[in-house]
Amino acid sequence: MKSINNWKSLVLALLSVMLLNGCGFKDIDKRFFVVSIGVDTAKNSSKKYLVSLKFAVPSSSKNNPTEFMIVSEKADTMSEAVRIIKTKVDKEIDFSHAKVIVFGDEVANQKGNSGINYWFIRRRDIQSIAWVAIGKPSALEVLKVQPKSEYIPSNALFLALGRDGSETPYTISEYLFDFKYRLSERGLDPLLPIIKAEKEIFEINTVGLYNKSQMKLVLNPEETKILNFLRNREEKSANRVTKGKTVIIIDTQKVKTKYKIYTPRGKAPYIKVLVSIEGILEESTRRVPNEKLSDYEKIAEKSINKEIEKLLVKIQKANLDPIGFGLRYRSRHFNNDDWEEWKRIYPTIKFKVKSKVQIEDTGLIE
Amino acid sequence: MPTNNVQSIKESLIHKLQQPEDLVFKENHTKEKYMEVLYIKSISDEDVLLENVLKPFFEITSSKEFLDFLQSHPKASEYECEQKTIDMVMRGVAILFYQDFVFLFDCKMDRNNAVMDTTVETTIQGPQAGFSESLPVNLGLIRQRYPNVSLKVESTTVGNLSKTKVMILHDTKFVDPDTLKRVKKFLDAIDIDMFQTGEQLFDIIKKSNRALFPLMLVTERPDRVAINLASGKVILLVHGSSYAVILPTVMKDLMSSMEDIYQTYWIAKFLQILRYTAFNISIILPGLYVAVSSYNPELFRVHLAMSIAGSRTGIPYPSFVEVLLMLFMMELLTEASIRLPKAIGPTATTVGGLILGQSAAEAGLVSNIMIVIVSFVAISNFVVPINAFSFTIRVLKYFILLLATIFGLVGVVIGFFMLLAYMVKLDSFGEPFLTIIQSKPSKE
Amino acid sequence: MNRYFLYLVLLNMLVNVIIFVPNILIQYRFEGAVMGVLIAIPIGVALNYLLSTTINKFPEQGMPEIIANSKHRWLKIIHFCGIQWIWFTAGLITLVGFIDILDRFINPEMPKMALLVIYLAAIFLIIQLPTDRVMYFLEIVLFLNTPLIAFIIFKAFTNDYLSWDSMLEVGTHIFERPSLKSIAAATYCFSGYTNLIIFNRLIKGRLKIWNFFAVFLLGIFNLFTTFFIPIGFHGSDGAQEFQYPWISTADSLRLAYSPIERVIFLFLMFYMSITLISISVHWHVSFELIKGTFKEKISKKKNLLILIFYAGCSVAGVIFLNTILLNKITVYWMIVRLGFEILLVVIFFIWTRRWTA
Repeated sequence: MKSINNWKSLVLALLSVMLLNGCGFKDIDKRFFVVSIGVDTAKNSSKKYLVSLKFAVPSSSKNNPTEFMIVSEKADTMSEAVRIIKTKVDKEIDFSHAKVIVFGDEVANQKGNSGINYWFIRRRDIQSIAWVAIGKPSALEVLKVQPKSEYIPSNALFLALGRDGSETPYTISEYLFDFKYRLSERGLDPLLPIIKAEKEIFEINTVGLYNKSQMKLVLNPEETKILNFLRNREEKSANRVTKGKTVIIIDTQKVKTKYKIYTPRGKAPYIKVLVSIEGILEESTRRVPNEKLSDYEKIAEKSINKEIEKLLVKIQKANLDPIGFGLRYRSRHFNNDDWEEWKRIYPTIKFKVKSKVQIEDTGLIE
Repeated sequence: MPTNNVQSIKESLIHKLQQPEDLVFKENHTKEKYMEVLYIKSISDEDVLLENVLKPFFEITSSKEFLDFLQSHPKASEYECEQKTIDMVMRGVAILFYQDFVFLFDCKMDRNNAVMDTTVETTIQGPQAGFSESLPVNLGLIRQRYPNVSLKVESTTVGNLSKTKVMILHDTKFVDPDTLKRVKKFLDAIDIDMFQTGEQLFDIIKKSNRALFPLMLVTERPDRVAINLASGKVILLVHGSSYAVILPTVMKDLMSSMEDIYQTYWIAKFLQILRYTAFNISIILPGLYVAVSSYNPELFRVHLAMSIAGSRTGIPYPSFVEVLLMLFMMELLTEASIRLPKAIGPTATTVGGLILGQSAAEAGLVSNIMIVIVSFVAISNFVVPINAFSFTIRVLKYFILLLATIFGLVGVVIGFFMLLAYMVKLDSFGEPFLTIIQSKPSKE
Repeated sequence: MNRYFLYLVLLNMLVNVIIFVPNILIQYRFEGAVMGVLIAIPIGVALNYLLSTTINKFPEQGMPEIIANSKHRWLKIIHFCGIQWIWFTAGLITLVGFIDILDRFINPEMPKMALLVIYLAAIFLIIQLPTDRVMYFLEIVLFLNTPLIAFIIFKAFTNDYLSWDSMLEVGTHIFERPSLKSIAAATYCFSGYTNLIIFNRLIKGRLKIWNFFAVFLLGIFNLFTTFFIPIGFHGSDGAQEFQYPWISTADSLRLAYSPIERVIFLFLMFYMSITLISISVHWHVSFELIKGTFKEKISKKKNLLILIFYAGCSVAGVIFLNTILLNKITVYWMIVRLGFEILLVVIFFIWTRRWTA
């Protein structure tokens, strides 16, 4: 009767565990879900940060939407802030659904934030796939925004950053794990989207570029779009081309970017960037005959070349590398001091941009 | 074979039978002949006796001719020994004392020989008739579907008091001799007083007498029996039961319905996948609900977590009590609708299922999502085609629920695999109960 | 039954994520791990080939049955007592490591002992089964899990955030002098074959050559995935900062359309069963080897004693080993294991030569 003994001992073991058990079991309605976290600098205080947690308050009926509650606390570190906030709420704080982390503008601009950056990674219950962003004018303001269309707090942010809802080339979204990756990887610098809070809506169309410790450069929407092209992340956008008095808009369908770093001996090193764009003509101020399309393509190529080069030089001047040229250089060179080499090369490197625009279609009319 | 001591046999028999109320002992006379008949009238068919013995007795004048008649009658056999004769009388055989001969005349009353429609293992298509409660009729049904010389029929009796006749059927071409030996040994070793139907073997098969899984398949369908014969299984037919027992049985058999071969290939595959999914759902889901809502709410998407949290607000007790409460209610409903007469059954289900569930949620006793889960579990449970197995599943889910309450998500997963390991451990007459590829034991 | 051989090898390949193989490799990524991996592949396949073809000469026999008739009984006992430790500790490290992972990611508030109890209950149920049943169970577990794990790996490979440049950057350190530690860790992926010394009981007929070819291909793919995917997600400079690189990698994946959005939970749920069966297989081998040292059939009491010993060791392991210590010990254990493995294969090979000659 070996099997019976087994079962008996199993039951005994279970019972003994029952006795020593008692923690860990916490019902879902006894938990308070944090949906987004905001970190600002504390004003008029000796403490360093103002940490705000946005909680979702579930409603029991389907008809009224879920409400929210924001609790803020000043503290020098994240853990202290959370400990104090714990005493202010009646339920257990659960970070497992914190999907958006917003740093205030001032926090992003100051140095010495690695403590909080690593706190998010170190906590096991904060998702690595949470989105990180910069909030303007402050993180708290961003958390306070409540768009009419959302029925779960911060859902609008989830949709915008997660690209499940609107898809736009002006938004660059960034996951927590990728942020951490870029913070530590030599040759690739972090970038975070900037969320501007207006009364009832958000505006996410600019991006802030970091060096390894703080935000150094803010790109405008057009530059953000081009950066997105260069990262091969977004393909749908509208490009404006002007020729004389005619303005046409190209709706891009496919954007592919390739780049290669050349270090010819004795000559100045350069980066060759190839951009191929396929698109359809969406709007034009005057009639554009089909034969003339190739002229417009040429002009579009020229203007895109210029724009890209301008952006790349701007980033280079700030000594930032959000695209990862440095990493590319490291990965193609077998010597151990490739990173030191690259640091020497990068400030003087030239960009040679070559783009190819193809207008495939003119829509339903010619 | 004439005997001299007819008189002593007769007296001894009557003495041993203790003269019950329904014992008939009659003397018949014609001019030339004299015959005595002994039988129990409640289990013997008097019409058969009248038609086959008494009428000829009066029609055939010559005593020699009547003796020849009796000796050549297919239903009559000659006396062998006393004990056997008594056994036969108790089964409805009449004893004829004629001249120096003692004949056993088979006039058993065959009640319940009507072929019944299938009620438990119903299918949409395919044959609809099931077995009857009469052993010869059932054997006939099988032989009709399986007209092969290789079909071998042996018989034995089981039960110290009931002495129930059990037939062992198998196809000598396909059967695994080891399995057959094990089955026979098993039948010989059964120590039970009353043996009425094949289902009783469920418990006896485990030596500990406490089985959770049915290790044999009990079926009411002759077509299932025929197809299993062809795949080398051993069939037991029990006297007085309209169910046949199929041995050995593995998980795959318990999850198959006869419909699988009456449908097109992909549909049958789809149905099978559906069944296995339902099996898993009905075992895991209650436990998973407790584990996820009380230990790891991060498993859900945020929207789902919010709506569960919302629907649970105001429920005064922890999730496992909620689940237990609802499951208990569902078990009561299921039990009640089996016991109730057919006319009231559906009403009870409606009252219980719809009204109770709805108002329980409205009264704040359980959450809305809980009701969805419990009905899901109940429905999944009924998808499993073999009834005995679906009862097993009803019990299994509490095991997972218990582990989930104590250990959370780990409990659910490990509990599920413990069940699998237990099923792998089981075997049915030498054949492993659960494997992915059911390989036949090699016949070298 | 050639497929059983592949199952055993595949199981070790899957479970290496738990037993710190990625950690060790990533730790030495700039100091010779790449070369170590490349060297480990031929070593692993060669050992696979040697032991399997040797033991193939004894169809349907495990090591205890093969040596049962040996005259040197004491030698046999010493041999079995010695080598069973390798399997036992392999299981133990996996168990302690995974309990730590569960405690960290799934049930942070539950005492580790509780998790250990349920694991031990399940393991003890499995290791006492006959060898063929353990194999059937392994087959079921793999059948349920491998497609989904393959799906997760597919998702990882096609992820936008997987940086091939970072992986290549590590690849450029190929010419570093390989470290013994990384070779030892990388060969672990191949060492599933050692379970054959018990599971050979189920293997009928000769192992065909395509088995070893499959082992070779699977091994390359597995090592590449184990080693490089975390680097692709967390960077050539950042990956070593993670305690459990693969679990953090799983957390970096998002299934936008699945009801469970976070892959980490799917991943951990699959690994709960993979780990369970891996520990069970190792301990089953160890258990059978101990049984093999006794001449007569093992009594219930002895059986219980062995199980209590196992339970005691794991309780002690969970209490005294924290993650960092366990990680350190595992590094050295890997080296010892590799040595023992080579020793076992070579001795067995020579012994068979003599025996058959």
